[in-house]
Amino acid sequence: MAGSPSRDNAAHSARAPWLTLKTREMLEAWLFVSPTFIGFLIFFLGPLVAIFYYSTTEWNLLSQQATFVGLRNFENALLENPDFWHVVRNSVIFALGLVPLNMALALSLALALSRPFFGVVFFRTVFFAPVVTSAIAWAIVWKFMLQGQGGAVNQMLAWIGIDGPNWLREPNWAMAAVIVTRVIKMVGLNMILYIAALQSIPRDYEEAATLEGASRWQVFRMITWPLLAPTTLVIMVLTTIGSFKVFDHIYQMTGGGPENGTLVLAFYIYQQGFKFFNVGYAAALALIMFAIVMVLTLAQVMLRRRDME
Amino acid sequence: MTKVLLKGIRKKFGAVEIIRGVDLDIEDGEFVVFVGPSGCGKSTLLRLISGLEHISGGELHIGGQLVNEVPASRRGVAMVFQSYALYPHLTVRDNMGFGLKVRKVPASERARRVSEAAATLKLEPLLDRFPRQLSGGQRQRVAIGRAIVGNPDVFLFDEPLSNLDAELRVHMRSEIAALHQRLSTTMIYVTHDQIEAMTLADKIVVLRDGRVEQVGTPRDLYDSPRTIFVAQFIGSPKMNILPLADGGPIAPGASVPATAISVGIRPEHLSLGKSSNSTLRGKVRLAEYTGAVTLLHVELDGGQTCLVIQNQGPAPETGAEVSLQADPGRLHFFDREGQAV
Amino acid sequence: MTARRTEIVYRICWTIALLLLAVPFIFPFLWMISGGFKSTTEIFGAPTLIPRVWRFENFVEVFTYQPFARQYFNSLYIAATVTVLTLFIASLAGYALARIRFAGAGLLMLFLVMALMVPEEVTIIPNFFLIRAMGLIDTHWPLILLPVFGPQGVVATFLMRQFFLALPKELEDAGKMDGLSRFGVWLKIALPMSRPALAAVAIITFLHSWNLFLEPLIFLSSLEKFTLPLALSNFNDSYGLPLWNLQLAATSLAVVPILIIYLIAQRQIIESFALSGVKG
Repeated sequence: MAGSPSRDNAAHSARAPWLTLKTREMLEAWLFVSPTFIGFLIFFLGPLVAIFYYSTTEWNLLSQQATFVGLRNFENALLENPDFWHVVRNSVIFALGLVPLNMALALSLALALSRPFFGVVFFRTVFFAPVVTSAIAWAIVWKFMLQGQGGAVNQMLAWIGIDGPNWLREPNWAMAAVIVTRVIKMVGLNMILYIAALQSIPRDYEEAATLEGASRWQVFRMITWPLLAPTTLVIMVLTTIGSFKVFDHIYQMTGGGPENGTLVLAFYIYQQGFKFFNVGYAAALALIMFAIVMVLTLAQVMLRRRDME
Repeated sequence: MTKVLLKGIRKKFGAVEIIRGVDLDIEDGEFVVFVGPSGCGKSTLLRLISGLEHISGGELHIGGQLVNEVPASRRGVAMVFQSYALYPHLTVRDNMGFGLKVRKVPASERARRVSEAAATLKLEPLLDRFPRQLSGGQRQRVAIGRAIVGNPDVFLFDEPLSNLDAELRVHMRSEIAALHQRLSTTMIYVTHDQIEAMTLADKIVVLRDGRVEQVGTPRDLYDSPRTIFVAQFIGSPKMNILPLADGGPIAPGASVPATAISVGIRPEHLSLGKSSNSTLRGKVRLAEYTGAVTLLHVELDGGQTCLVIQNQGPAPETGAEVSLQADPGRLHFFDREGQAV
Repeated sequence: MTARRTEIVYRICWTIALLLLAVPFIFPFLWMISGGFKSTTEIFGAPTLIPRVWRFENFVEVFTYQPFARQYFNSLYIAATVTVLTLFIASLAGYALARIRFAGAGLLMLFLVMALMVPEEVTIIPNFFLIRAMGLIDTHWPLILLPVFGPQGVVATFLMRQFFLALPKELEDAGKMDGLSRFGVWLKIALPMSRPALAAVAIITFLHSWNLFLEPLIFLSSLEKFTLPLALSNFNDSYGLPLWNLQLAATSLAVVPILIIYLIAQRQIIESFALSGVKG
């Protein structure tokens, strides 16, 4: 047949009999994933293995001398160095403050903004704006506003007769300030995740319940909240992990101070590894952080699974 | 000459064998239809022929050459998909010319072939539209046009009409038949609709659980189905299958083979008769009047429901006692394994 | 009261509550811009939203205090490079993972999920030595390589995979019948239909790179190599105290363009984040 896409390659297959269509497809697939895979080996898997080695050495970044010390670094962290437990305590307080506040606010905002009404786009845009802003910029502005003297926040408090503290100079107030400003920065992300989940719940359920005489609160408690459970779990895991990883915010706002009052784990690792050059100790800390994140994630997932059964 | 030859074709997905050894001989210019219930492997078989799936075992020859390891685009086949698979980001013209462009056919030649195909299918006014601007029937025609443009040796159709409404389906069916008449190219067509199969096919292949149940002309399959499965699959409404033990001789004068345990009779070959020369009696449970004929659901004394097409005379009332008479030449007997005897 | 009036009162209460709540979300931006125009004396005086004297010179001094234009450009070109590379690599891998059955795919997916679980702080120490061994300290390479191949790249890969899974497969089959190679199907059929996913990946990747801080802090030491976040945190006087007006002016210059783009494309940007969050 003239001009037809002819079967020109019985030869093609005969030339390399091992190169069947199936093998070829396999090779193609690996070619497609090879950049990701190679990058993954070099910049993730390799370092992940290396950090186990580092954590068993005493290694000074400057002298480049690595001495094997076994579990010495872990002993140092867990048993000897009081800083470590102080830092863990700070991280836990940070997480305990941030996660519930963030999630409660995110859910409230989502409930208010999941239905179309006048101004809904405006509010969503406003509450999400800090998410796209750099954490450093956000921290700079808040640090400026939270100054004891002449800070905008204390000025506003003065209007209603409150004498505000010197926020970032007192350990407890500093922790509170860091938590709240971080929540304002990140709550928009959880808000839109909740909005997406709320909008995927068919209205029929709610309408059926309303017809049966359920109040708004009952509808939320018995229908909306249970249906949001998977989303809540995802958000909880992500927010908790995020709270343990917080670094740039603390770096810029308090630098871990005052009196190490906001020195959290991620910042401590940075300090030990890149300021004091205790590489082995920092590696051990990093592994401990990894373990904490893993345990928290698994615990939350298992807790939720038990709840569902 | 473009014969398509399947020798012991097998396909496994993981541990599951979907196609379990299919042998088939498709002549040049033949219109072959694969039918079967969903999950029987008919679409998979078509995709094996097209080259979109790898063959796990057996040999596939197209035009006398072994093509197991030849990529889809070099097998000389073109496919019309169920969802039409028109590229949403290209116009009708570019959709039709896409394959030629990939194969580096010169632009002038490409334009000529696209406009030829467009003329054949009356697509000229649509050439500069995008797929989303077309109706279902138009999309279908573009999909066929795209297949024609490549000038293939074999056309493959994967349930091409199932997304169309009933009226359009009948119309497109006749267009496809006309296309085959004009091109007289080998065509392989998959459908679950046995009317499509009967009207279009030179040869029907009935598939069941990844095996060929029967191959034959539409008339072969209708007149002499080789198994109960084929007997019930071809023909609408379905053939009645009655146990011989209960029914006894349905039509006096018919000779019953010794190994037969059941008898099949099509609804159109039963008629309401006088009670004297029939042993089939029952009550009318439902009478569905469709205009041309009336479909009676009769509950036999033995308990089975039997369908009867009545094409003349007044239909009996629901609940009426009737006797049924069968055409003795139209009886089908089946043995214990469901094979015709 | 009728049901309708209850509804209206309810609405008004909600709106007022939301407006009050919106203050700490909007006000910092206004205060940042206003602070950028103030003089040093006014910064430490009684705070006002509108500067008494508009000091435009701040925005000039930003560029003389450190090579701010160069730093701005660094951030732009690094974010653009990271975005382009991520789009390319993630859509290739995402496509293979979505569409090709190949040995090792399951294991690879497992590895990638693992990469999502491990915080960057864990791998940054070994990566520092790796980058140093490669001789790339105080270059922009680590700021490009680590995000592209790190968790952010994995998120992008999963996003693309998810999108490819939802594309109609028959279109790609048609492409194969038309003679396209695997790569051709990816380039000419899968990618043109994936514009929404590509846009989402581009948005989150760009912003992630634009706002990146830990990596620049660790790897960069020369001022003219700095990226914006690092440059912003660097507006201090010789005692290490912040030069507030300059710092706020620079911050405004860094934040306002992004904010304007965000206001124009807020719908698209918010959706992109929603998409990537659902993946996690």
